[in-house]
Amino acid sequence: MTKPVIVGTVLYDPKVAVIWGIISDFFNENGFPIDMVFYSNYDLMVDALLKRNIDIAWNSPLSWLDSQMRSGGRCRAIAMRDTDRDRESYLVVKADSGFKKVSDLRGKSVAVGASDSPQATLIPLSYLQNHGLIPGKDVHVKRFDILVGKHGDHTGGELEAFYSLSRGEVVACAMIDLNWQRWTQDGTINPNEYKILATTDKFDHCVFTVRQDFPADLEKRWLEVLFSMSYDNPKHREMMDMEGLKQWLPGRTSGFGPLGDAVKTFHFFKGGEI
Amino acid sequence: MDKVSWNLRIVAEEKEPATVYVRKHQFRVGVPLQFDPEYQHITALEYALGALSADVVGGLQAVSRRRRLKLYCIEAVVSGELNNPLTYLGVVGETGNPGLEHVNMTVYVSSTAKEEDIREIWGEMLQKSPLVQTLKPTVKLDFVLKVTA
Repeated sequence: MTKPVIVGTVLYDPKVAVIWGIISDFFNENGFPIDMVFYSNYDLMVDALLKRNIDIAWNSPLSWLDSQMRSGGRCRAIAMRDTDRDRESYLVVKADSGFKKVSDLRGKSVAVGASDSPQATLIPLSYLQNHGLIPGKDVHVKRFDILVGKHGDHTGGELEAFYSLSRGEVVACAMIDLNWQRWTQDGTINPNEYKILATTDKFDHCVFTVRQDFPADLEKRWLEVLFSMSYDNPKHREMMDMEGLKQWLPGRTSGFGPLGDAVKTFHFFKGGEI
Repeated sequence: MDKVSWNLRIVAEEKEPATVYVRKHQFRVGVPLQFDPEYQHITALEYALGALSADVVGGLQAVSRRRRLKLYCIEAVVSGELNNPLTYLGVVGETGNPGLEHVNMTVYVSSTAKEEDIREIWGEMLQKSPLVQTLKPTVKLDFVLKVTA
């Protein structure tokens, strides 16, 4: 029997296991068995990757940086969703607030997501700092630490940050572009009442990660199966819709710059407080 | 009195749901629990919640018949919560257990009988319910009775 490749992922909601079940079945049907291991947080999953308990990790952008830092750069990014590339975060304000530029937020309160959310906390706060507003000094930060350890996968903190804006507790909140699109479409946000004040630099999101020594032939075959998923195939489309992609793409590391800067700025991996 | 026991036989073959044989009947049961709404079988957990509810509804009917109280229709809506469903999936780092922790049930009874009489048989039914009495010590049971004419 072929030894399965072990793939790790963080699970914050049991329904997400259904998606991974479909992916797992797809690999098995294509003659490349995989076993899934679920983790409650990214820290544990990075531990498992570096201790060789798993072969491939579905990393958040922050856990990608953590993997690289802890392994001394001995990890590789091998695949990602098309929707993981070129994301942006927004600073959203009320449309009638009168704010026109980021510097208008000086002395005001801004709501963000969980402390470890790249998209709703780290990158937006780094953006403010790069535009002359030091978080905690020039702007007051109201943080919504929901399910810390899951790197903002759970959008609860991000949504609470928006609700804080809607209640008038803060004058701005941070969110990823995908959530702005989703929430303005599903009625959570009335796009006539809110506007995007500022947009961060583009950044990349999740990425399948292996250790440097993961066998090249296994990686090649695994990627062949992954990339054979087609949005045109109704059987694949269901899973791809659930996972939010239309195509799997090769991994790249060029999109982690904004988060890397934020992590350095706030000494995130050294226990820095935002 | 000799001990009375209930005997069932359960068989599961590869990838198939389990078949439960009981007296001259049989029924099929899927996996213990499932998060996919499209899953094709009834799970063990769903059967357990169904059995508890049927115990309550059927028990209420039985007691009402003995008391010659006419109940036209009884309907129960039930929902169950586990302590931590992620532990069922084996999520590393999760704590707790996948056991039932909380069951909410609303039972609607349609009857022209006096509400106080129906509440009396409701209390009797709860006392005599095998499954309510089994689960009560370990599971939070929030049952609500609603009577309509």
